Amino acid sequence: MRQSPLARLFIYASVILTCAVLLFPIYWLVVTALSQPDQLRQLPPKFWPDEPRWSVFGKILEERPILLWLGNSALAALGAVTISMVVSVLAGYSLSRFRVRGGQSLGLFILTAKMLPATLLVIPLFGIFRMTGLIGSLWSIILAHATLIIPFTTWMLKGYFDTIPRELEQAAMVDGCSPWGALVRVILPVSAPGLAATALYGFVLSWSDYAYARTFLTNAQGNWTANLGITTMKGEYISNWADISAAAILVALPILAIYLFLERYLVGGLTAGSEK
Amino acid sequence: MAGGRFSLDLARPSRQHWLGYILLAPAVLLIAAIIIYPLFVSVDLSFQNVGIARLDQPRRPFTTANYERLFTSPDFWNACWVTLKLIVIVTSACCLLGLGTALLVNNRFKGRSLARLFVAMPWAVPEVIAVVIFAWIFDSSFGLMNWIFLSLGFIDKTINWFSDPTAAFAVVATTMVWKGYPFVSIMCLAGLQSIPDDYYAAARVDGANAWQRLIHITRPNLRPVLGVTTILVMLWIFRDFSIIYVLTGGGPLKATQTLSIMTYEQAFGFFRMGYASAIGVVTLIICVIAAKLMMSRAPENL
Amino acid sequence: MAEIVIDRVRKSYGPLTVLKDFSLEVADGEFVVLVGPSGCGKSTMLKILAGLEEATSGTIRIGSREVTDLAPGDRDIAMVFQNYALYPHLTVAANMGFGLKMRGTPAETIAKRVQEAARILDVEHLLERRPRQLSGGQRQRVALGRAIVREPQAFLMDEPLSNLDAKLRVHMRAEIGALHQRLGVTTIYVTHDQIEAMTMANRIVIMRDGEIQQIADPETMFERPANLFVAGFIGSPGMNLLTAEARGGHAQLFGSAVPVPVGADGPVTIGLRPEHIAAGPGAMSFEARPVLVESLGSEKYVYFEAPEANRPPRTIARSDEDRRGERLIARLMNAGPVTVGQPVTLSFDPAKLHVFDPATGAAIR
Repeated sequence: MRQSPLARLFIYASVILTCAVLLFPIYWLVVTALSQPDQLRQLPPKFWPDEPRWSVFGKILEERPILLWLGNSALAALGAVTISMVVSVLAGYSLSRFRVRGGQSLGLFILTAKMLPATLLVIPLFGIFRMTGLIGSLWSIILAHATLIIPFTTWMLKGYFDTIPRELEQAAMVDGCSPWGALVRVILPVSAPGLAATALYGFVLSWSDYAYARTFLTNAQGNWTANLGITTMKGEYISNWADISAAAILVALPILAIYLFLERYLVGGLTAGSEK
Repeated sequence: MAGGRFSLDLARPSRQHWLGYILLAPAVLLIAAIIIYPLFVSVDLSFQNVGIARLDQPRRPFTTANYERLFTSPDFWNACWVTLKLIVIVTSACCLLGLGTALLVNNRFKGRSLARLFVAMPWAVPEVIAVVIFAWIFDSSFGLMNWIFLSLGFIDKTINWFSDPTAAFAVVATTMVWKGYPFVSIMCLAGLQSIPDDYYAAARVDGANAWQRLIHITRPNLRPVLGVTTILVMLWIFRDFSIIYVLTGGGPLKATQTLSIMTYEQAFGFFRMGYASAIGVVTLIICVIAAKLMMSRAPENL
Repeated sequence: MAEIVIDRVRKSYGPLTVLKDFSLEVADGEFVVLVGPSGCGKSTMLKILAGLEEATSGTIRIGSREVTDLAPGDRDIAMVFQNYALYPHLTVAANMGFGLKMRGTPAETIAKRVQEAARILDVEHLLERRPRQLSGGQRQRVALGRAIVREPQAFLMDEPLSNLDAKLRVHMRAEIGALHQRLGVTTIYVTHDQIEAMTMANRIVIMRDGEIQQIADPETMFERPANLFVAGFIGSPGMNLLTAEARGGHAQLFGSAVPVPVGADGPVTIGLRPEHIAAGPGAMSFEARPVLVESLGSEKYVYFEAPEANRPPRTIARSDEDRRGERLIARLMNAGPVTVGQPVTLSFDPAKLHVFDPATGAAIR
């Protein structure tokens, strides 16, 4: 496609302008974090601090247990994703390959489950976890996150398995595998990229939860997840935006890193089922 | 013979489909325990006069008082209205912005994959972090927004974004649009890239200009993707909790209190879990209707 | 002994029956081809034979064992698939050895047999590669190698050549034929291509809508098709079909009376293969005005209109590639120049006619 130089210039300019505007909030976060706190109480705001305070990150890591928060988020995500993946891989495979009675209804249910607000399930789960003594434990949010993740990962995995030809299992069975053996020895190794992408998406889902963390973990400071920790900082620090911005950057870093390096896989998982 | 078989030979033709049920069992059991059972509990609670849910104690007597209160409560209808407003406004903005950025990034230029990455980056920012960013930008005393508006002469005194109902709604909407448009952008981009180049080549040969190509080729081919995406965005706004709760808590004066927020408030702010569950059940019914609609329109989405 | 006996196998999905009472006896070492249009049930039958689908009723014996409800891996069969179904995560050598590995065969035996099979199929230089690095033809050979390594009692092949381009297909046809000569393993081969059936089979089973139409060796099927469907399906281009009225042992065809079998009376469908029409005068001659001439050098396909009285029946189902419509085709060898619009004299031997009952489609002899 030949493009006139004018068109190319226009496109480049538009792209740069659009990216600048849309990513400005992230830039502003960085600027705020690096600014001196009293500088933030003055107008006009500076678009780059005179003396960027790089030490703010060290300071905030000492003052706040940010690494503990991140660790808890990671732990919860790990637990939730492991449980969810085991269950969804089996279920997704079953829905893809077998005509199960009630499979249609299960499909409809999973679709509905994807749309449920966390605020709906949080009430009964609160009651249940209260009764079983799980309030305050990471297990409460591991299970709660599983309710978020399983509907998505099951659907994604079913779609992914649909793209693998059935002849592969059939060949394995003729070669002497049981249907289970065919799944484990042939289909799973072949699906590794799809499984990884799905697990990654589940990880992001777990990480982004706030509702469950707030409800179940508020009184267990040692188990606070990153999202919960940040919001308590916002609650307290009505004035020290530099500190909270620095903390926010640290909390956002893991997911942003995952996004920047693995975007291809994440996006692939998102769009795989929907484009025809 | 075949290694690792258990005595139940599932490889026999008459038994091969058993594996289908066996594989579903863990999922069904787990989902029953952590989703279906809680939903039943929720419905159950909605018919009781319950403050804090104590499941180990005997049930309270059956009553429809929660629902009666619900449907006569101005707060409930306000929440419905706020939810609707938010859905319409944010979805439209997300779709426009998402489609626009997708169309822009779909062109061929150097650095295109980088642009794609950047344009969708807000998706990767956790919602509470987005809240931190915009809470500061819209800070009434020293926030960027007030300064920009003042400098450009839009206003002559600072807006207190979080005390004014309309302003607070705007902040919530803006934050949600910023977080929501990347998803539309990603989906539309995938959809755009699946349109074969031949269509455009044929249209060019027929003399169509850029605008005509957009209307007659891009739009019809993109419509299914856009349709599905729109519904998904609406559902996300419908159930969102983090952004609104941390940003405004549902205020001021319930100007940003969606159904989701109201449910939570009633349950964990006022400890009226029976009443909150009733709101939750109404929410559930709306979700089921939406799911059925989606299934009939686009069955391949499971 | 690896003969296969299929006894009244039937497959239904609820009220829909896709395979109706299929019975067949295959001798040890025979190469049987199941052929028919898409949806005729041939692949279903093969999958039931393999144990990948369950028969609704009926029994199957391979060798001396009844295998009807035996796992695919226990039937001592090997299968070759249309899209090769090679394990993408394994090397070619591992692909070929997979079946033996599943059966606990010692590693040296596996290596030896894989090497031997690779030599036979000329893929030795590919043993350490992955399937995605191979061409279509190479993949198909590896798939064949995977099958022969197992030294099974029977080979099942599900349209193995359909994904190859035309030239490769011709080549692989010969290779599979040669392989069968060499190894002598009982083979059941499924295809929709009647040329493959005719060139490769000891016997052909032609199917339609779940029912067997005829079982015969290729020559018999060509010379004595059992019904209209078989007549039209076998042969390329297919048989010409015309309508006529039979009375007292004769019918009018191209203006002359031709003898018809005694059982024929009333409206009949008469079949005449393009190959059985010759240029110039002969036993029964007629004039034809060509509407299209396709010349392949010494061979000419001449399309012409049937006489009014013998217009071909409208209800005949032809394959998509058959473009003749209501015209007739003659295949003339070494004929002189034939031009469109110029009447030519054509002739045929009435003994080569086939007569069918238009109502049932069955041949009348």
